[in-house]
Amino acid sequence: MANSLEVRAILDLPSTSSATPTIPQKKLSVPTIRKPEGISRELYSLIGPSSTTLVAQLAKPRLKQKPNLNAGSKIKWEWRPFKNGGRTDSLQLKHWVKASTEADAEYPFAKYNIQRPKYNDYSLEEYTTHLEDAKWSKEETDYLMNIVTEYDTRWYVIYDRYEFPGGVARSMEDIKDRYCSICRKLIRSRPWTGDESSKNALLSSFSFDKEREEMRKRYVASLENRTPEQIAEEEALYMEIKRLEQNEKRFKRERDDLLRTIGGIDSGLPDVVEDEMQLTGLSSSELKRSKKKGGDLDTPATPLLSTPLSRRPTMPPQNTAADRQHCITRTEIPGATSATKAAHQPAYLRSFKLPYPKAAIAQKVTQALAELGVSHARLVMPTQGNVALLEGLLDATSTLVDMKKLVDKAEFDIQVLKTRLGMQGAAKAEETDGDVNAMDMDDGNDADADMDGDADGEGEDGRAQSVVSTRSARSRKHNRRSMSISSVDTSATVSTRAGTKRQRRG
Amino acid sequence: MATERVRVRGLNIYRPIIYGNTATVLNPKQREALAPTAPDHTHTWTVAVRGAASAPDQDIVGGADDISHFIKRVTFKLHDTYPNPSRNIDKPPFEVTETGWGEFEIQIRITFVPDAGEKPITFYHHLKLHPWTATGEPEIPPIDVAAKLGPVHSWQYDELVFNDPFQTFLNTLMAHPPTPLVRSRRKPVPFHLAHMGGLEASKGGTPEFTQQMEKEEAERLEEARKAIVAEEERWRVKLIEREKELEQLQKLVAERAQ
Repeated sequence: MANSLEVRAILDLPSTSSATPTIPQKKLSVPTIRKPEGISRELYSLIGPSSTTLVAQLAKPRLKQKPNLNAGSKIKWEWRPFKNGGRTDSLQLKHWVKASTEADAEYPFAKYNIQRPKYNDYSLEEYTTHLEDAKWSKEETDYLMNIVTEYDTRWYVIYDRYEFPGGVARSMEDIKDRYCSICRKLIRSRPWTGDESSKNALLSSFSFDKEREEMRKRYVASLENRTPEQIAEEEALYMEIKRLEQNEKRFKRERDDLLRTIGGIDSGLPDVVEDEMQLTGLSSSELKRSKKKGGDLDTPATPLLSTPLSRRPTMPPQNTAADRQHCITRTEIPGATSATKAAHQPAYLRSFKLPYPKAAIAQKVTQALAELGVSHARLVMPTQGNVALLEGLLDATSTLVDMKKLVDKAEFDIQVLKTRLGMQGAAKAEETDGDVNAMDMDDGNDADADMDGDADGEGEDGRAQSVVSTRSARSRKHNRRSMSISSVDTSATVSTRAGTKRQRRG
Repeated sequence: MATERVRVRGLNIYRPIIYGNTATVLNPKQREALAPTAPDHTHTWTVAVRGAASAPDQDIVGGADDISHFIKRVTFKLHDTYPNPSRNIDKPPFEVTETGWGEFEIQIRITFVPDAGEKPITFYHHLKLHPWTATGEPEIPPIDVAAKLGPVHSWQYDELVFNDPFQTFLNTLMAHPPTPLVRSRRKPVPFHLAHMGGLEASKGGTPEFTQQMEKEEAERLEEARKAIVAEEERWRVKLIEREKELEQLQKLVAERAQ
């Protein structure tokens, strides 16, 4: 049998690759690209050659150069003796030194050997005049000063080394206190070259408050010695305090906002937000300077508060005459905030904003004013001044009505008590009578004589009647007064007829 | 956007205006002229909004100033029985003249210039045709009597208050300061229901608003306030007495109770 290969060869047909048996072909390898530097092959194949930064960066690892530690010549060190300028004796010491430094160079640390002014050189007279102290003998004082000078006011060392034979135990505060007080007194007493301020500076450097120092050290010690529970407790308290303060601040802010929205521009609160942002330092001082309306001279700066810094309206020079001419009133500027911006009052007719009495007593107020010939609802000339006057009038009338209410209430209470007293025995009757009559005498501005006459005339018998008569007399007195007020009285004294009174009580 | 539209804070500016009407009885000739269309009209009247100060040479109430620099349009809404009851007046003089026989409420709406940035305000005026009476009760006199009494005036003084005006608007207003009212009266005083006592003073011609009126009202208010305060004092004295009495009685009651 001819296989396909041979058939094809005979027929000169091209051999199909699929039909041909698998001739082991050399596997074509993927064209190899040169391996990328700096990053792994896999990573590179992920990123691709286009990512310039990464490839460029990672291609060359830039490491810090190794410091060239004297890669040059070698340095020689020498073991040399040296002189220390700070020493008083001539002790010779040796140390390693670079060969390059010159011999007999100054010892570099000698300059740190500073000398403090000595205060232990006081004379005997000085001691007896200024420095005496009951708790310190002279010997101990001398010992102290010397030791301080020797140990250069290093107090812990001094305290440690302090051991005066035959002396009491001295705490560090004690010796510090004694030393500082001595220094201060010496500075003050000795003649001072130089100016006053430097002397004072030196003096203040020697100020030492023993009490405070002791307290401070106690505090620090106790702070150190807190148990962990105490520390935790303190932390908790601290957090609580912080939280409470924050809450308080928040409440205050909310309260102010609320008051501002309710009260509007007149709530009297300084506006907060935008001013602080825009004009931090200026705003508070300018708020203090801004004045109320009514002819005061505003500084030209106050309108600036209300506008952003960049745009300032050109305000004409403000004075009261021009203001009156143009019918301008200036009010206190609370500052520009979102709250007041939203609360812009629209234009209005002044008579629309006349003050109105409170609802509860409105009717009585109206009555009272009507009797006086004043209308509460309308003004002939509703100018600013007149509106203010009307407001004052309404306030006065309101207080008047309240006052009358109080009086009536008191009278009613008196009546109640009198009836109770009346029921509790006739023996006291004359007493109350006398009281009531006496009060009637004092009472009232007009018609006193009439009243007495009435009280006597009508008193048929017993105090019940006389009480009634005084009441009627009083009411009659009301009548004699201006018509107006009586009509506004509450029910207690409305009826002015003695007869009805008697019936009511009967 | 808002470069010029900045409000000047803390500043109120007001302008005095008057609004109201004047009414005259129609004389027989006028009535004849009207006979075909409106035989029952008895009066001719003019309702207007003007500046408060009166010009000395003119015979109208107020109107010395031009108010069109801040008022753009005034709309008078008349009674429905009038044709086109909503009368828009876009240029001065802001007034409407009509004839009629009855009194009614006229709604007046003032629209401000756009520069002001304010909404229109609305208010009412009761058209007054018949003369004022002492008691304030309506009392319509017969025609011939009324004709002799002359024109009837009913005007109200008021002040338009602008809060925190825009700077540009403020400049416009400042460029037209209002003429101040004349100090004292030289013409009859406009009558007002709040001050019935001024009835006599209002008769005899075209009235005029004066500063004196304002002062007089201020005095009246002040007098009233003083009277009230004095009264309050008296009542306070009474209260103190009553309270003392009450205390004594209470003590007595307490004693009795023991």
